Amino acid sequence: MLFKAVKPVVQVALLIVGITMVCFGVMRGEADAVLAKAIRLCLECIGIG
Amino acid sequence: MKLSKIAALFMVPVLALCLVACSAPGGNAGESTSSDPKIAELTAQKPTNADEAAELYAKLMQKENEIFSSDNALWEKVFNAANKDSAMIEDGSNYGDFLLKTIDGAKDEFTADELKTLKAGAQQIKEIEDKLESLEKEFPGCGSTPSAGESVDASTAGMTAGANASSEATKFPSFTGKDLDGNDVNSDELFSKNKVTVMNFWFTTCKPCVGELGDLEDLNKELAKKGGQVVGVNSFTLDGNKGEIADAKDVLSKKGVTYKNIWFKSDSEAGKFTSNLFSFPTTYVIDQNGNIVGDPIVGAISSAEQRAALDKLIDQAIANSEQ
Amino acid sequence: MDKRENTASHVLVRFRGFIQAAATLVTNIHLPNFAKGGIYQGAGKTVCVPGLNCYSCPAASGACPIGSFQSVVGSSKFNFSYYVTGTLILLGVLLGRFVCGFLCPFGWLQELLHKIPGKKFSTKKLKPLTYIKYVVLLFAVVLLPVLVVNDVGMGDPFFCKYICPQGVLEGAIPLAIANAGIRSALGHLFTWKLAVLIAVVVLSVLFYRPFCKWICPLGAFYALMNKVSLLGIRVDACKCVSCGKCSKVCQMDVDVVRAPNHAECIRCGKCIGACPVDAISYRYGLDVSAEKLPLTADKK
Repeated sequence: MLFKAVKPVVQVALLIVGITMVCFGVMRGEADAVLAKAIRLCLECIGIG
Repeated sequence: MKLSKIAALFMVPVLALCLVACSAPGGNAGESTSSDPKIAELTAQKPTNADEAAELYAKLMQKENEIFSSDNALWEKVFNAANKDSAMIEDGSNYGDFLLKTIDGAKDEFTADELKTLKAGAQQIKEIEDKLESLEKEFPGCGSTPSAGESVDASTAGMTAGANASSEATKFPSFTGKDLDGNDVNSDELFSKNKVTVMNFWFTTCKPCVGELGDLEDLNKELAKKGGQVVGVNSFTLDGNKGEIADAKDVLSKKGVTYKNIWFKSDSEAGKFTSNLFSFPTTYVIDQNGNIVGDPIVGAISSAEQRAALDKLIDQAIANSEQ
Repeated sequence: MDKRENTASHVLVRFRGFIQAAATLVTNIHLPNFAKGGIYQGAGKTVCVPGLNCYSCPAASGACPIGSFQSVVGSSKFNFSYYVTGTLILLGVLLGRFVCGFLCPFGWLQELLHKIPGKKFSTKKLKPLTYIKYVVLLFAVVLLPVLVVNDVGMGDPFFCKYICPQGVLEGAIPLAIANAGIRSALGHLFTWKLAVLIAVVVLSVLFYRPFCKWICPLGAFYALMNKVSLLGIRVDACKCVSCGKCSKVCQMDVDVVRAPNHAECIRCGKCIGACPVDAISYRYGLDVSAEKLPLTADKK
């Protein structure tokens, strides 16, 4: 079946895409944004208020 | 197997409750203890590693604060005099020298005895500052926050329940910093000029924090009539990070905020105080003497209940200041 | 060779409860913070944990992927989070919904609640409800935080703010118990979220993992990745006797033989244990070999 031939290719491609996206995200400062938000408690954001 | 899992399920909340029950927070862990060694002893110490240096640094800072708090009213006068002369502390100069100069400049306002106390105090502060400077040189970063990257708890963050609300005054840690336009700010001057200071801690990506900026601006206008002010501290802008200051100013201008927003060094006492805050927005009320009034308001002040609590604290602060 | 593989699968299934407990502990390692009423503020929170675990939990050691995604997307600087999406794609390809079955603390909680004795209901007839989670993912997590913004361009984390029961359980309740300031900040929003939590708890006793099946946006994302995940379930068509025991035992309502890598399969492995002829096992790796041969098996 065609799907079976395609599946490993998709898997490898997704792994590469995932790694690239993480690197790109870190580069444009998303990781810092995550940390900044995760160590500060925005009360309303978790349903306090 | 099944039974043990059910048991585990019930154990979890029980354990959690135990932890909470045993947790009577250490209250004034961060406050000064009086049985400290003499200043001379402290300045004579030669730390061998960064940890010791950091400890010594903290002790010296505490000593300095004690000198100020022991003759609070007198020093208040000195700071006021400093304001009039509009002499600002420049980076690099010794704070003790600055104080001595200011005292000299305003010596006719004090009695001989008072002058003696003040000069002795300023001299001690000078020695402490010298030592602090040499410590910083020898162990860079020893004055920076030891709690960075560690867990914070409610008591060190100044958020514990009413234990110290009325009986004992808690000073807001003193600081020198800048507003977002780059003008110098120092805490004593900032607080002593106003009967009440509402200090709002926020950060740029916190939507409820940004949401209440408009209300705080209104409050600032209201307080201006009563001799009070609102001051904002954006925790992203500590240490004068230029990008963060630009972002914060952008948000502030969009929300039409005109009141002062300030930053200070994160390794200062006030900086550590801010780093230890973890819930945002949080609003402190400070009286003219620089004392924190009551418990902070945690969460936005936009709701009626929170606003009522804040108004109560403001009235209390004004009453304190007029005593 | 098959026999050894099956043994490994059986062992994994047998220790699932312990793995769930360990994963919950590791993602919430800073336990003393429960007593202190504070949160961990170290660099560990840059990294997203695999499961649904609120980063406002006092003990949390990492960031919740859904919370992180919304906070990045909701800020005025970014409209999409490559960092979190990339992390989720990696986790999805490497593990898929194995995360739900083995690593997610909230999944574990629902399972434990389901062990409370009482009347249990099947969710087989409620299958359409499983599509709600995709709607939650698309709207509450991805679109609304970007589209519904205030005057400064900031959006609300809709899922965290209005839906997520884990945030109440791990964040709001423990912090409110230990911290008077936060206690006084509780209002209508908290009442609503508490009601959601109670509803999920009650439903979890009656149904198996209702939140995972119907609501969880993280589960929805991993569900989409389940078909291309390196970790899968293999049904050996030659061994299968078509007894149907695997599908009967499956609490996620998956027809194991027909679709071993169905989006709803959380890799809990109950079918592996139920199979009388050891035809079902985990497999891991690039999917080069043929694995899904139910029809040929039937024809035999």
